Amino acid sequence: MDNILQQQDLKFDAKPKKFVVWLFVVSSTIMFGGFTSYYIVFAASKGKGHGLVLPDAFMYSTAILLGSSIFLFLATKALRRGNRKSQQLFLWVTLALAVVFGYLQLQAWSSLFQSGATLINNNAAISVIYVVSGMHLLHIIGGLFFIMSSLLGSYKGISEEKAIYRQEITSIFWHFIDILWIYLYVFLLLNS
Amino acid sequence: MSTISLQDKHHDNHDDHGHDHHKETFITKYIFSQDHKMIAKQFLITGIIMAVIAMLLSILFRLQLAWPDKNFPILETFLGKWAEGGRIKPDFYLALVTIHGTIMVFFVLTAGLSGTFSNLLIPLQLGARDMASPFLNMLSYWFFFTACVIMMGSFFIQTGPASAGWTVYPPLSALPKAIDGSGLGMTMWLASMVLFVASSLMGGINYVSTVLNMRTKGMDLWKMPLTIWAFFLTAILGILSFPVLVAGVVLLIFDRSVGTSFYLSDIVLGTEILPNEGGSPILWQHLFWFLGHPEVYIVIMPALGISSEIISVNSRKPIFGYHAMVYSLIGITTLSFIVWGHHMFVTGMNPLLGGVFMITTLIIAVPSAVKTFNYLATLWRGNIRFTPAMLFAIGLVSFFISGGLTGIFLGNAALDINLHDTYFVVAHFHLVMGSAAIFGMLAGVYHWFPKMFGRLMNEKLGYLHFWITFICAYLVFFPLHFLGLDGVPRRYYAFTEFEFMNKWLTVNVFVTWAAIIAALAQVAFLFNFFHSIFKGKKSTQNPWEANTLEWTTPVERLHGNWPGEIPTVYRWPYDYSKPGAEHDFIPQTVPYSQTMSSNLPHDFEGNTEAEEIQKEWDAKNKPSTETAE
Repeated sequence: MDNILQQQDLKFDAKPKKFVVWLFVVSSTIMFGGFTSYYIVFAASKGKGHGLVLPDAFMYSTAILLGSSIFLFLATKALRRGNRKSQQLFLWVTLALAVVFGYLQLQAWSSLFQSGATLINNNAAISVIYVVSGMHLLHIIGGLFFIMSSLLGSYKGISEEKAIYRQEITSIFWHFIDILWIYLYVFLLLNS
Repeated sequence: MSTISLQDKHHDNHDDHGHDHHKETFITKYIFSQDHKMIAKQFLITGIIMAVIAMLLSILFRLQLAWPDKNFPILETFLGKWAEGGRIKPDFYLALVTIHGTIMVFFVLTAGLSGTFSNLLIPLQLGARDMASPFLNMLSYWFFFTACVIMMGSFFIQTGPASAGWTVYPPLSALPKAIDGSGLGMTMWLASMVLFVASSLMGGINYVSTVLNMRTKGMDLWKMPLTIWAFFLTAILGILSFPVLVAGVVLLIFDRSVGTSFYLSDIVLGTEILPNEGGSPILWQHLFWFLGHPEVYIVIMPALGISSEIISVNSRKPIFGYHAMVYSLIGITTLSFIVWGHHMFVTGMNPLLGGVFMITTLIIAVPSAVKTFNYLATLWRGNIRFTPAMLFAIGLVSFFISGGLTGIFLGNAALDINLHDTYFVVAHFHLVMGSAAIFGMLAGVYHWFPKMFGRLMNEKLGYLHFWITFICAYLVFFPLHFLGLDGVPRRYYAFTEFEFMNKWLTVNVFVTWAAIIAALAQVAFLFNFFHSIFKGKKSTQNPWEANTLEWTTPVERLHGNWPGEIPTVYRWPYDYSKPGAEHDFIPQTVPYSQTMSSNLPHDFEGNTEAEEIQKEWDAKNKPSTETAE
C-alpha cells in the first residue's frame, strides 16, 4: 500500500510534493469558482451579464495556450525517452507560446477597452472579465517559473528522478491553467 | 518575534546524530528553520504574542464600555491623539474591536492553533520525518509573520488601523474616504490578509499531503489519533474555503483602489454622489461568509481534536465512540459549507432560502452534540488525572456546551432577526469558538510542552491560571447574553446615549473587572511558559503515559524525529486501561503478540489466523474465564 514507506528519509520522495501541487490546483480552482459564482449571482440579480461579443484575441490566445500544452506534453515524453535536448527545445517552445498568450491577453484587454467596455464600469460583469483574465495571467506567470525551473534543471543535468519530478509538477500546473482558461473563456461566452 | 529563542540547554547534543547531513547555523536552526517542530514553536510564540496584544486591545475597549464618562490620562500617554484627554475616541474604538477580532480569529486561533499543533503533531503522531514540503512550511510561517507585522504596522500610521469590523463589510470598507480607518489602515488589513491566506493555504496543503502520503507502516487512517483527524479535516476546510475569501478580497481591492463597482452602488458620501453603480454589498457578504463560516470550524476543530486526545489520556480510558467522533468531524466539515447564510438572515434574504440555511445550521448541532456526549462518556467513570491540560480540555467541553446552546437560538431565522448584531451574538461566539478554542489551545500547550521543550510546566501555576481564567471567562461572557436579549447592539461606542441601555452600565463595569482579572491571570501563564522553557523540571520521555507515537521520540527532539527507524504501528491510539493488560496504557507501537493477556477478538479485524493463535493461548493460560462463559 502507498501508506507504507519506511526508508523515505534517504531517498527523494516526489509523491507527497506532487500531491502538494494538486492541492494547490484545487484551491486555485475554488478561488476562480468564487469569481464565477460572484458573476452568476450578480448576473442573476441584475438580469444581465457582460453583454459583449468577446474580442477575437481571446479565441487566438486560447488556441495558443492549447498549443503550449501540447508542446509541454511532448517535452515530458522526450524526457521520459531520456532525450534532454528535445525536452529543452519543446520547453523553449512552450515558454515562447506562453509569452505570446500573455501578449494576446493584453491585446484582448486593449480591444475591450477601446470598444468602451472598460475595467471601471457600472456593469460589474464586465469588470469581472478583466479580473478573472488578470488573475489567470498571474497564474501564467507562476507557470513560467515552473517551466523555467524544469528547463534549468535539464541544463544543469540533475538526476533523472528529480528532472521527472520537476517536469511532472510543471505539467500538472500548466495543463491546469490551460483547462482553467478554457473554463473561464467558455464561462464568459455562455454567460454573456 | 519568533526569535524569542528556544535555546534550551539540553538541545545541544543534537547536531551530531545521523540525520543531519548539513551543518546547522543559528539562522537555519532558529529563524529560517525547516524543521516542523521549530516551525511549530515559531507559530506558537508568535501566536501567544498576538494573543496578548489582542487581549490588551479588548481591555482598552472594555474600559470605554464600563466607564464611558471617565478619563484615564494614562491612555493618552500611550495612545496619543487616539485617546485625547484620556478617553478613547470613537474611531479608535472601532479600530480596536476590528483588530481584536481579526487577530483573535485569524492570527491566534487559526495560525496560532493549527500552525502550532498541526505542525508539531502531524509528523510526530503519524511517524514521519517531517512535512511533505519543509520549505513550503517555512515559507508559511514567514508569510504569517509578515502578515502580523503589517497588521500591527497599521497602528503606527496617521489614519489608524482598519475599523470596519473584522468582517470588513463594504461599502464602509470599500470607500477609503468613508472613515479614517477605511484609508491606508484598510489597505494594510487587506494586504495582511492576503499574506495570511497564502500562509494558511501553504500550511493546509502541506498538512493534507503529509497525512495522506507520509504515514508510517501500519498507520492506516483508522489508527490515526483524533487530533490528526481534526487537523486533517481542518486543513481541508481551509483549502476549500480560504480561496473564496481571496476572490472576495481581490474584488474589494479593485473597488477600493481602481474604482470598479463590484460591491458599490448608489452612494452619497457627504455631499458627493459617487459614480459607482450596479454593485451589491450583499455579494461581499456571500463571499466572506462562505469562508467565514467554515472559518469558525477551522478555529474549533483543532481544539476539539486536541481535547479528544487529552481527555482520553487523562481519563485513562479509550475515547468513547472513536468512529462517531471521526464521522461527526466529517459531518461538521461538510455541513459547514452550506450554512453561511445564517450570518445573513437580515440582508433581505428570501425567507425560503433563510429556512434552508436554518435547517442546515440546526443539523450541525447533531454532530456537535455527538462530540459533546462522547467527551462526557469518556470522562464517565474514568480514572481521571486532573493535570492542567485536562482541566483546560474539560473547560473546552463546558464552553462548547454553554456556547453551543445559544447557537441553536441564533440559527433560527425568526429569533436571529431580533438577536442579530446584539451582544447575544457576541456572548455566543466568544463562548463557543473564542473561549472553547483558546482553552483547547492552552490544553494543547500544557500537554505537549514537554514534547516541544523537553521540560514540564509548573502545575500549581497551571491550576491558578485555569481556575481564574475559567471563572472569569464565564463572568465576562455570560452577562452579555442578557444585554443582547434586551437589544443592546454590539460595536456601539456611546451606548449610554440610549435611555434603555443605561441600566446595563453596571453590568458592563462588572464585565470589565472580570476581563481585567482574566487578563492578569494570563501573566501566570506567560511566566510559566517562558520560565519553564529554560528552568522547568526536566521531562521524561512519556510524562503522561500516553499511547501515541510522539512520545516514542527522544526528549532531545532530533531533526528527523526518530534516531533510528521510524516505529511501526500495530494498534489504535486509545488502548487505555485495557482489561488484562499489564499497564493502563499500551502504546501504538506494541504488537498484539506482546499483549496476549489483554487482546480481544475484535482487535484482529477478521484476521482468522491471529484469532486462532489467540484462542489457543487463551485456552492454555486462562481456562477459568473460558469456562465461566
